[in-house]
Amino acid sequence: MTGVAKAAGRKGAIWIVAEQAGGKLAPVSLEILGQALRMAREAGECEVAAVLVGKDAGGLASVLAACGADKVFLADDPQLSPYQNDTHGAVLTRLIAREDPEVVLFGATACGEELAPTVAARLDTGLGAHCTDLDLSAGGLLMMGVLGFGGRVHTEMFCPARRPQMASVKPGMFQPPPRAERKGAVVREDAAALLEGERIRLRAVKVVWKEPEGVPLEGAEVVVAGGFGIGGKEPWALLEDLARELSGAVGCTRPALDEGWTSGEHTMIGTSGKTVRPKVYLGFGISGSPHHTVGIKDAGVIVSVNSDPRAPVFESSDYCVVSDFRKIVPALIREIRKVKGGGVGEPAPSVA
Amino acid sequence: MAELKFTQQQEMLRKAVREFVEKEVKPVAARLDAESRFPMDIFVKMGKLGFAGVFVPRQYGGAGLGMTERAIILEELGRHAAGLAMALMTHHLGVDAILSYGTEEQKKKYLPDLASGRKISGLAVTEPTGGSDVAGQLATAVRENGNWVINGRKCFITNSSNAEVNVITARTGEDAKGRPAFSAFIVENAVEGFSPGREEDKVGLRGSSTGDLLMNGCKVGDASLLGGEGNGMKMALSLFTKIGRTGMAAIGLGIIRACLEDGVKFARERVLYGKPLSKLQAIQFEIARTRIDYEAARLLTYNAVGLKEGGAGADAEIAAAKYFATEGAVRAAKRTMDLMGGYGVINEYPVGRYMRDALTTISCGGTSHIMQIIVAGQTLN
Amino acid sequence: MSGFHIVVLVKPVPDPGCYDRVEIDPATGVLARQGMPSVLNPSDRHALEEALALQERFGGRVTLVSMTPESSAETLREALAMGGDEAVVLSDRAFAGSDSLATSRVLAAGIAKVAPFDLVLAGNESADGGTVHVPSQVGELLGVAHLANVIRLEVDPDGSVRARTRIENGYVEVEAALPMVLGVRREINSPRYTSLMGVIASQGKPIRVLGAEDLGVGRSGVGMEGSNMRPGKLSRPGYRRKGERVKGDPEEAVSRIVGILRAEGVLG
Repeated sequence: MTGVAKAAGRKGAIWIVAEQAGGKLAPVSLEILGQALRMAREAGECEVAAVLVGKDAGGLASVLAACGADKVFLADDPQLSPYQNDTHGAVLTRLIAREDPEVVLFGATACGEELAPTVAARLDTGLGAHCTDLDLSAGGLLMMGVLGFGGRVHTEMFCPARRPQMASVKPGMFQPPPRAERKGAVVREDAAALLEGERIRLRAVKVVWKEPEGVPLEGAEVVVAGGFGIGGKEPWALLEDLARELSGAVGCTRPALDEGWTSGEHTMIGTSGKTVRPKVYLGFGISGSPHHTVGIKDAGVIVSVNSDPRAPVFESSDYCVVSDFRKIVPALIREIRKVKGGGVGEPAPSVA
Repeated sequence: MAELKFTQQQEMLRKAVREFVEKEVKPVAARLDAESRFPMDIFVKMGKLGFAGVFVPRQYGGAGLGMTERAIILEELGRHAAGLAMALMTHHLGVDAILSYGTEEQKKKYLPDLASGRKISGLAVTEPTGGSDVAGQLATAVRENGNWVINGRKCFITNSSNAEVNVITARTGEDAKGRPAFSAFIVENAVEGFSPGREEDKVGLRGSSTGDLLMNGCKVGDASLLGGEGNGMKMALSLFTKIGRTGMAAIGLGIIRACLEDGVKFARERVLYGKPLSKLQAIQFEIARTRIDYEAARLLTYNAVGLKEGGAGADAEIAAAKYFATEGAVRAAKRTMDLMGGYGVINEYPVGRYMRDALTTISCGGTSHIMQIIVAGQTLN
Repeated sequence: MSGFHIVVLVKPVPDPGCYDRVEIDPATGVLARQGMPSVLNPSDRHALEEALALQERFGGRVTLVSMTPESSAETLREALAMGGDEAVVLSDRAFAGSDSLATSRVLAAGIAKVAPFDLVLAGNESADGGTVHVPSQVGELLGVAHLANVIRLEVDPDGSVRARTRIENGYVEVEAALPMVLGVRREINSPRYTSLMGVIASQGKPIRVLGAEDLGVGRSGVGMEGSNMRPGKLSRPGYRRKGERVKGDPEEAVSRIVGILRAEGVLG
């Protein structure tokens, strides 16, 4: 029966709730699908299904199936677009009640942050928020890793009794799944039936997309980040110049964002901001509070520049330069231009 | 004997003021000093929060609090921007002149705007010939066809360029013993014949404007006479004690706290010989001395304010507090500059400003020499 | 229309500026939060500001509701100094260990106690938990429309609502009607500073404390017992890397960095 943990031995399905954003799948949907597939493999033989709720989403449902989901539940209806927590909440709650999955994962996007608790309240079940790591035991118990106190404390959370076990996952924490061998089936649901009897109180009347300025942090190979030590909007421009030379993205810490030096909240890297995994991360004037370092923990090479020799950031960096960033960045830009211009420059010192 | 303890409301008040100062004033303090600029926009915000009329009764648009709350505000402001604190301090001089000595009409006319910060005020007594020697003033006010005509030049007047409502003292005659008698007048800056003069380029307290006031055939009506004819000197001296010196003591206290907090932070973070500076005994002694100056200044200041609010004359206690807090600020600033070494003399760090501000407080509201004369006078009589 | 009754959910949280002091007791594995001063959750100031702005426009009442230990009740007085007519503190041993849904049950019961209400405003997330769950779950439990991530709010005297919610790379305009629960993001407004007059006024404002019995909530729905989520092991995440010092003057450091960029293949 739905809602409670299964008797030992029975393995319920792992579901992911996919999200449609501007005609495409939100990247986090594939990231959580990857985690669901991994956990299913490790826990041994359980089904992985995706749920997609929206409009004209047939093509995206096929993509999810092609990426390895065994089943994709598709609720496709004009009433379901744009997203609203009451319509999507009703559809999801009824599907879950009917199918009784073991685990349901959401991307912790703006919509997911609202939809997941809505469904959890309707089902009276547990929900781990902004999880940074997940693991499913052989017995079907989900470990949800959650960070608190600005990234300083990691807690393992569990939902021992109620079902499904639900978790929302920070975008960018995980990678999309590798190429899939098996391809699943898309199951078209009767959206009208799923919505019947639900009091729809909201009316989403307009969706406005605004492409953010600058190279997006997600997927950037080089990230140039600045913190409170930069000191002002004028010196911040140096970082933007450097990023431009490297075709990289500009990121920031919360203190720098609060000072108003950056182009917006979409550039903040940290537990309450973005997670990035560039090949090279160059940080300037950043003290290294855990809030920020969580966001770069999977970066390739981390180089930090800070004038304070005891800055905590150095413990979380591969290469540490104790210097004022003003002495480094302009010279670095010059050297990079020289190299790009085909100049010989200094022979690269060996990087062990 | 109970310890000096603030009420819960006063603690909440301090916290609210501190939040405002840290968010609005601290980020621009260095720039205000560098540009020697009085920030009208911040003064207006302070007015809306009740700082400008902290001790003005509610019926006139003030917050209806007292001198202790005022001192708390000036201490918190002085901690980050002593110059701006000076401007507020001086504004209070004009405000209290009207509150304590004005007729009901004068209070109703001026206090609401002054209490809300919509208009700024000041008290103009000092002249080239009379600063410490107030009786040396030469400005005159002569009756002519039912009006008063004021002529003269005031100097070193804070808020000179910004005050719309000035309280000015001038000679109006002689007393029974043939000595000069002075009266106080409320002069709005729009009055014909009145203008702020040259603004001074000061060593410190640069967030406030200080300069001349020029009265050239300045004509004001009888309604502008404040506190009765011949009472100007008594009023001015009383205001200097009750508002001026207590205010300067609070500002000096704020500067000492700035030196203490910045000195402690530096001592903890700076590493020398493999250890933080704070491990060195010589540095510990410097921090201790600044701490002791802070504790003593704090007690002297708030005790003196409390005594005055309780109705005591407290001339000596207030002079002692002003003397100790301002001289203490100079000592604390020198110690902190010294312990910061090279960093202490770079303008990127505020301690140089603390030093200049502290030095400048010595001559405001009565010099240290005058404070000692007052204390000696009361002690020896 | 005599104005709205707006409830603002506020939460005292450990001061984020003191997060470095958080410790895990090695013996019990539990968080030790002693000595961390409480402040009003930063997002809640924005919720309160929005409520006060609506009160200035339409009149009506603003009630603060908080589930917090009685010892933190005075932090509520700081919120009242900013504005609001009274505060209701929901405090009971039985509430300890509540997950977000159990917390939402307690808050919903508290809101029901001060009902009728027109609007419930909450900061989108709390600085310590950061779940963003409470606005949505309180809305579900109260059976009213709800929205999270609100960055702009327009309310008409007849109770119609137009809210703008933030999504990645854009926003959504949503129409609805009061009563509603809204979770607001910090970018919605700039909270006012607390004035001296506000501090004075706060001294006389009532702060009521209600326990489980006053609220009529069963023990099975709240606290540890009523929580579906259970915490397990706590640890301090470490993000240690090799921390190699780049020696030499700035010029040498610059050369080294260029070398790293080349080695990683990001420099043409």
